[in-house]
Amino acid sequence: MIFRDRPAPNLDWNFFGTALVLAIIGCLLVYSATYYSDPELHIFKRQILWVIIGLILCLAFLIVDYHVIFDIAPILYGIGIVLLIYLLLWGRLTAHVKSWIHIGGFQFQPSEFMKVFTALMLARFFDSNDRSYLDFRSFMMAMGIIGLPVGLIIIQPDFGTAASFFPLIAVAMFFGGIRLRIWVAMIVIVAIVAPLGWFALKPYQKERVVVFLNPERDPLGTGYQVTQAKIAIGSGGIHGKGFRRGTQAKLEFLPARHTDFIFAVLGEEWGFIGVVIVLGLYLFLIGQALTFAKHARDRGGTFLVICLILFFVFHVLINVSMQIGILPTTGIPLPLISYGGSSTMMFFIAIGLILNVDMRRFVNA
Amino acid sequence: MRVYRDDQKFLQFRINAVMWGVVAAFVFLAGSFWFVQGVQAEKYRGLSEANALREIRVPAKRGLIMDRGGKILADNQPAYSLEIDRVVMKPLVKADPAHREKLVAFMSRVLALPPQEISARYDKESVKIPATRPFTIAEDLTMSQVASIQAESLAFPELNVTPVQRRNYPYATMAAHVMGFIGEVGEKELKQRREFEQGDLVGKRGVELMYDNYLRGRDGAEYWEYDADGRRLSEYAPARKLPVPGDNIYLTLDFELQRRAEQYFVENEFVGSAIALDPRNGEILAMVSSPAFNPNVYSTRFAPDVYKQITSNPFKIELNRAIQGLYSPGSVFKVVMAMAGLSDGAIGPGTAFNCGGSAVFRGRRFRCWRREGHGEVNVQRAMKVSCDIFFYNTGDRLGVDKIHDYARQLTFGEISHIDLDGERPGLVPSTAWARDKQHRKWYPSETISVAIGQGPLIVTPLQVANMIAAVANGGKVFQPHVVRWVDRVQRDGTYKRYRVPSNVIHEVKLAPAALNAVRDGLWKVVNEEGGTGGNARIEGLDVSGKTGTVQVIAQHGWVRSESLPFKFRDHAWFASFAPLNNPQMVVVVFIEHGGHGGTDAAPLAKLLYEARFKDKVLDANLDLSNPETLQQIKEGELPLPAPQR
Repeated sequence: MIFRDRPAPNLDWNFFGTALVLAIIGCLLVYSATYYSDPELHIFKRQILWVIIGLILCLAFLIVDYHVIFDIAPILYGIGIVLLIYLLLWGRLTAHVKSWIHIGGFQFQPSEFMKVFTALMLARFFDSNDRSYLDFRSFMMAMGIIGLPVGLIIIQPDFGTAASFFPLIAVAMFFGGIRLRIWVAMIVIVAIVAPLGWFALKPYQKERVVVFLNPERDPLGTGYQVTQAKIAIGSGGIHGKGFRRGTQAKLEFLPARHTDFIFAVLGEEWGFIGVVIVLGLYLFLIGQALTFAKHARDRGGTFLVICLILFFVFHVLINVSMQIGILPTTGIPLPLISYGGSSTMMFFIAIGLILNVDMRRFVNA
Repeated sequence: MRVYRDDQKFLQFRINAVMWGVVAAFVFLAGSFWFVQGVQAEKYRGLSEANALREIRVPAKRGLIMDRGGKILADNQPAYSLEIDRVVMKPLVKADPAHREKLVAFMSRVLALPPQEISARYDKESVKIPATRPFTIAEDLTMSQVASIQAESLAFPELNVTPVQRRNYPYATMAAHVMGFIGEVGEKELKQRREFEQGDLVGKRGVELMYDNYLRGRDGAEYWEYDADGRRLSEYAPARKLPVPGDNIYLTLDFELQRRAEQYFVENEFVGSAIALDPRNGEILAMVSSPAFNPNVYSTRFAPDVYKQITSNPFKIELNRAIQGLYSPGSVFKVVMAMAGLSDGAIGPGTAFNCGGSAVFRGRRFRCWRREGHGEVNVQRAMKVSCDIFFYNTGDRLGVDKIHDYARQLTFGEISHIDLDGERPGLVPSTAWARDKQHRKWYPSETISVAIGQGPLIVTPLQVANMIAAVANGGKVFQPHVVRWVDRVQRDGTYKRYRVPSNVIHEVKLAPAALNAVRDGLWKVVNEEGGTGGNARIEGLDVSGKTGTVQVIAQHGWVRSESLPFKFRDHAWFASFAPLNNPQMVVVVFIEHGGHGGTDAAPLAKLLYEARFKDKVLDANLDLSNPETLQQIKEGELPLPAPQR
């Protein structure tokens, strides 16, 4: 039975509305960032299409009871893994990385969808594991669920996306509950592996880290991007230059201005006020979701919401931080706002699932 | 329904902790933005006003292409192009909606082109090239055009007269098929190569294509400040990225050999191909495909009609006949037959057949080219007089599959991987080929045709040259190449030299006795009275070779080729090497519908041998047996040839 109860009355319209407002702001910013270099507005029109598809997916993942979705989670997870392996074997290299599948004129990133599928798998795992502490075996199982896709994405090699699975690891460790000795062991392992990881980085990635630590070293390469973003944001001031009136983002000068650096367009055109409003909307979304997590009917629901909302937290914090150089530049999109089909759809699915858990919070509704 | 209740408190505490953590992080972020947008806003506003930078690409200078002695065959000439900058144009169109029409009318007047043509170019380029990059609308402006445009720069500030480096081939058609040409990058190439951008000029054929990576260099960039109205202010010099010029390429071709060979074709109005190569290392010393095109007409953006004109030429001038022309080898194939027969034991050096002008094989009568016949002939005499009957017998004894095996060993039927594009493999028939590809039975009588180089057997002139080179050097087939060195400019302005290696792609095991018998036979073809190749004879130089005359249509009886229409006339071959005992050059000449190998093809070989050995035009006589020279080549220390500008 798909509709176990009457779902609509319990839908949290505030939460859904906030997500929609963020997506609309995203479309406006994409328009503002690209109307000049793309006078036919292909990019803007596509983003609207992505949002519409995202809303449909959101609805689909909302009306089906999340317990049913838990049941099919292994299938989704399996499909995701197969696609990732397919990419490694037959994928085309795009910007050093094999992360896109091309279908007709469109392309999508299975790794984005894998975020949701892995979260589903992990929540399902915690649903059946209802002790308040993880023993070593369960901990390793949880790590295995996360480790498999992360490993495949690292080989692509797309470290930015792989790193964005970090929230799931945090969930496993922090919410799943780990005993002290495992904590210690983890810290020791990370301390050993991290320096080795440096050698595994591609030269362009090393460069990003070095430039982050010392921006003067490379005024026109990677650090230049951040400098441009900062100039755009700073020159926006309190009130901003107004919609469509940014000068920095207008010319070809801010790279990735409609994707990873779209927040800089917001900062330039809508000023500090716009920044605070958008950050406020995100904070509301996160706060609401955490409340849903507390009130969820079962452990699986709680963990699902936490996993998904931590993706939002992670993406927002990393993306916004890199705009003004607090963190190094990585290819992490701003949820619901950055241009991009895969990430827009992924975040709308997440919104749908979070609402799904909230809507079915009453045991005997 | 499972309801969880065990660790409510535990989870609630941790969720609250996360919430407070997130709030703290957001407050920190908002604070940071306050610092940038509130406290430092003035600083960044100033930077923003001074920093509306645009990236303007500075194209790298394309590398030169030279012959082996350093004579320049492709260079770059300063020229002026007309570019339109839409960033500057946009506010003008906003202020005056008729501005675009005025602009088109102005350009039409100055460039003396119809306004429709200008509009068509504008529409095509503006869709292709991003709005923030200027695009080219006309090339090769004259000085008076430049002056007219600059006089109106106030009315049309969006027009930029840009100095460019225009690809130039000073000798026009010379070695055109080896050089290739450049052209605007296509959609397919754009997808394949990340470094290409819309509107780039890239190598399209020949060395320009195959060595494009070396020749193109790396584009630089300048960063210019623009004001809010799109007016160019000044350059932000610290950001400038200097272009890295492309590598210079030295071909293996020798200018003088190439020139003389081409002249021979032009003077005699011959269609065909000639190849001279060094059998010791596979270097191509001359490669002619006649008639040739002029690569200068290709290296422009706006000449679709010229392209059509070239591709619709009835003589297929875009075809590099040396590597793409597929022809029956005719009697030249008798060299392979002699080698196969002797190595296989089907015939011996003393085996003789009687030639009476014709003979019956497998129920069909086959004719010798000489009606009167040649009488009693052994293998050397058969090569010398090019007796068909002898080789019919040899072929009949060997069978088509053995002929196939020997021909394939001498790399017929496959590409040689020469460093040029579009090479074709040709075809060596066999019973397996007839069965698998033709779905029919191979008739033994067909073998008789193959034995004298006719039938389904087709080869390129380069394959014939490789075969003769293997006979000359004792069985080595080199990967032929047209590029000798690539010179890359170093940071200190000096050049580092990279040599293209000479790889042996196949080593044929030939019995020394068979090899010597064949080589003696080839010497007799040229040097004994009555040999068919007498026209290539040079006193004091043991030229050895084989003539060939290929029937283009089936003939009944003995017909004089000259009496036929051009396209039915015989093809002429001459394949040769010299000197006999220390072969240093192979020359293969092929003339389409040229008549006879001995009379039409052999004289060009003689000309080239004279140039090479008497006039000594090829001064780079590298002694590859000297270990010191070899070492120098490996390390790239050989001195540069004197510049010949």
